[in-house]
Amino acid sequence: MKQKTFTFKLIKAPRLIDDTGGRVLEQAAVLIEGDAIRAVGTEEAVVPPEGAQVEELSYKDATILPGLVDCHVHMNGIGDGRAGDELTTLPDEVLTLQSAKNARAHLYSGVTTLRDCGGKNRTTFMLRQAVGMGITPAPRMLLAGRPMAIIGGHLSYFGIAATGEVECRAAVRQLVKEGADFVKITATGGSTRTSIRTRPSFNPDEMKAIVDEAHKFGRHVVAHCVSSQGMVNALDAGVDTIVHAIHQEADGAFKYRPEIADRIARQGVFVNPTFSVVRKHMRNLEAKVEDGTITPAQQESLDGLNVSYEAMVNGFQKMRKAGVTMVCGSDSAWLDSPMGNFQAELVAEVDAGMKPMEAIVSATRDSARSCQVDDKVGTLAKGKQADILVVKGNPARDVNDLYNIQDVFLAGQRIDRGNYV
Amino acid sequence: MAKKSVASQRYLLINAGRLIDGRAKTAIPNGAVLIQGSKVVAAGRASAVRAPDGAAVDTIEYPGMTVMPGMVDCHTHHNGFGDGRPGDFVADVPDEVLALQSARNARASLFTGVTTIRENGPKAYTMLRLRESVNAGLAVGPRMVLCGWPVSIIGGHMWYFGGQTTGPTEVRAMVRRLVKEGADYIKVTATGGTTKTSYPLLPSFNVDELKAVADTAHGLGKLTAAHCTATQGIVNALDGGIDMIIHCTFRDADGKDRFREDIAERIGKQGTYVNPTLQVLRSTVWALERKKQERALTPNEQARLDFFQRNFDRRMEDCRRLVGMGLKVITGSDSSWTDYQLGNTVYEVECLTDVGFSPMRAVQSVTADAAVALGVDRIVGTLEPGKEADVIVVDGDPSRDVRALWNVREVFLAGKRVERGSDASIAATRQHPPSES
Repeated sequence: MKQKTFTFKLIKAPRLIDDTGGRVLEQAAVLIEGDAIRAVGTEEAVVPPEGAQVEELSYKDATILPGLVDCHVHMNGIGDGRAGDELTTLPDEVLTLQSAKNARAHLYSGVTTLRDCGGKNRTTFMLRQAVGMGITPAPRMLLAGRPMAIIGGHLSYFGIAATGEVECRAAVRQLVKEGADFVKITATGGSTRTSIRTRPSFNPDEMKAIVDEAHKFGRHVVAHCVSSQGMVNALDAGVDTIVHAIHQEADGAFKYRPEIADRIARQGVFVNPTFSVVRKHMRNLEAKVEDGTITPAQQESLDGLNVSYEAMVNGFQKMRKAGVTMVCGSDSAWLDSPMGNFQAELVAEVDAGMKPMEAIVSATRDSARSCQVDDKVGTLAKGKQADILVVKGNPARDVNDLYNIQDVFLAGQRIDRGNYV
Repeated sequence: MAKKSVASQRYLLINAGRLIDGRAKTAIPNGAVLIQGSKVVAAGRASAVRAPDGAAVDTIEYPGMTVMPGMVDCHTHHNGFGDGRPGDFVADVPDEVLALQSARNARASLFTGVTTIRENGPKAYTMLRLRESVNAGLAVGPRMVLCGWPVSIIGGHMWYFGGQTTGPTEVRAMVRRLVKEGADYIKVTATGGTTKTSYPLLPSFNVDELKAVADTAHGLGKLTAAHCTATQGIVNALDGGIDMIIHCTFRDADGKDRFREDIAERIGKQGTYVNPTLQVLRSTVWALERKKQERALTPNEQARLDFFQRNFDRRMEDCRRLVGMGLKVITGSDSSWTDYQLGNTVYEVECLTDVGFSPMRAVQSVTADAAVALGVDRIVGTLEPGKEADVIVVDGDPSRDVRALWNVREVFLAGKRVERGSDASIAATRQHPPSES
């Protein structure tokens, strides 16, 4: 027996968060035709064409919103607390398997677009090839492949350690050849053992070469910056998104630099703060304090993180006031944060001062803008891809309602979230 | 810590309408299996199976259903797609992608009740890496009996997976290397096959090379299995001392099918296992018939359909003889290869009942007997005290009708209930004969 195929789907719910980012429509509906949105509005206004075959889905006490866009993931990650230095010792096949698991977990939890900010060798590209062959499900993926790093720099163990303009350009060209949708740079050190957090990595000429080469191919650039000089260099080079954006001096002092914030705002650069991955790590260390198993080194790390987190929240609030657009990205499955819990980052943004609706916009429309896919996804509007999330409750009132997933649609297809095959 | 040790003392009691323990010749009505941790503590009549007094027991009831050992599939290709694309195509797919496909197939196996597989031909490290991921808790799959990759001659069947060798010394080195990498047994292709550059009607390795395979493997405590789609390959494998003949096609170099009772007797005398792989042929018949329902076949396709139909009928006939002679015929699906997909092992079981296995013999052939054939019977294959609790629950009574094996309702692997996901997603793994699709 041939299965009935519906060309149209009509989704109805008491509430809908649409494209404007702020508006909740009541008694609303979305009409999907194939993979795209044909109409959005109130139930009365959204009417399928006469005689059309329509599958109707009505949700009680639910909110329809755009599928979430997580602008910062590491699909290679396991999220069990192990450091990147350990993670990278796993064989590529294993990391590819882990990436597939993470992609699935994210999709089933409501993320319909993700931006992978760095994996080992060609693992994420291989995942995309497998998705294309129908082997495994995944959200839409924007891939960096391997991050651009200096010798010993943050994430250099994933496969690139470039020096000088020429090597940088060659590395970018190689990434583009393999299928990179954007370029990730680690502009400062980070958790990588051989890197130096409070110092910039690439020199300005190298950074400029990377950005220039990426932009030439229409690829945007995302820069990891956990200290201030890295941000200055990234801004000089013309990157498009700054990740972490921690205002920290080379001597380790946390010092908010308003002139950097002004430049970020003026240049229209997006900032992705990544609270939840830090917070989860702190919570795990606090649990060790509770049960008395914390080591002196971990205690020192926790003390540092407490100060650092406060500086992150402070920077977040001040940068927002300065007009910087904050975009939501979880940084999972780094450290102790498994994928499939992007919601934690929205919750953290709300705790840091955003209204629930602002957090939703940062995780949909604005996140899509920073990924340069806002022509296709991020909002619910006629002609856009039908990436749609239905949750019970009203996340515009309580962002935790985003955990109550009713259904996920990707390109108009309802996802069987119980499919583990 | 204290809490954990108490938890590990808990028992799991499975009660069902009947028990097939893999040993008894009949199903036991009102059966039960008692599990603690990863192991079976007791199995038998429900009235006789109980946890020690005062022990904490979680009980699950499956009224009307059958509790039995998880299935053991002696012949799988987890790298494969089973949608008609040949091995030559599979070999061109990057290893990382094949690892993902293997993971998907492994889930299809496990979710449909296959708790142990023997892998007969993956590329390079793909399956070794998958098992590494499963052992690390990063992926889900059945127990795996792995060959690493198959051993072949230059240009021989499945050479593209990485095992080309020449001469007894190189063969010995290859076997040692495979065992070092984690191989549990050695797979060798003793004739050509579907591989473009190979000759399916001719032997590949010489007898001294096959001897080197068997001797080196046996010396390291490993079993061997040989792909044989031609009579001379079977003879060579027997001369070499190989433990399992796969396909066991009695076909001469001129392409003519000639059943050889003398060779069959020798197989019986040597106690060599035969894995006939019947359904993989019928799957291609089905695929082409399905195509024929949609449009007219090209002359080549029609010829292929005729060939596969003839081949399937002939192999069934030969297998009936082997079963009649009392040979150790064992279930191994050969999926996912050509048009046969993993998750459909039961079709092979059905084929074996069509050539003379009683339903119970067929059930044992895909559980207890298969475990013996793979040398893992101390761990799995039956439900006996001390064995790993690889248990499935099926709706119906497979000891009367093996098609009940399609109705897997629950899978336990090493005593843990497997989260199998939605019924729709599992149902989608099933292939159907053309008339039903």
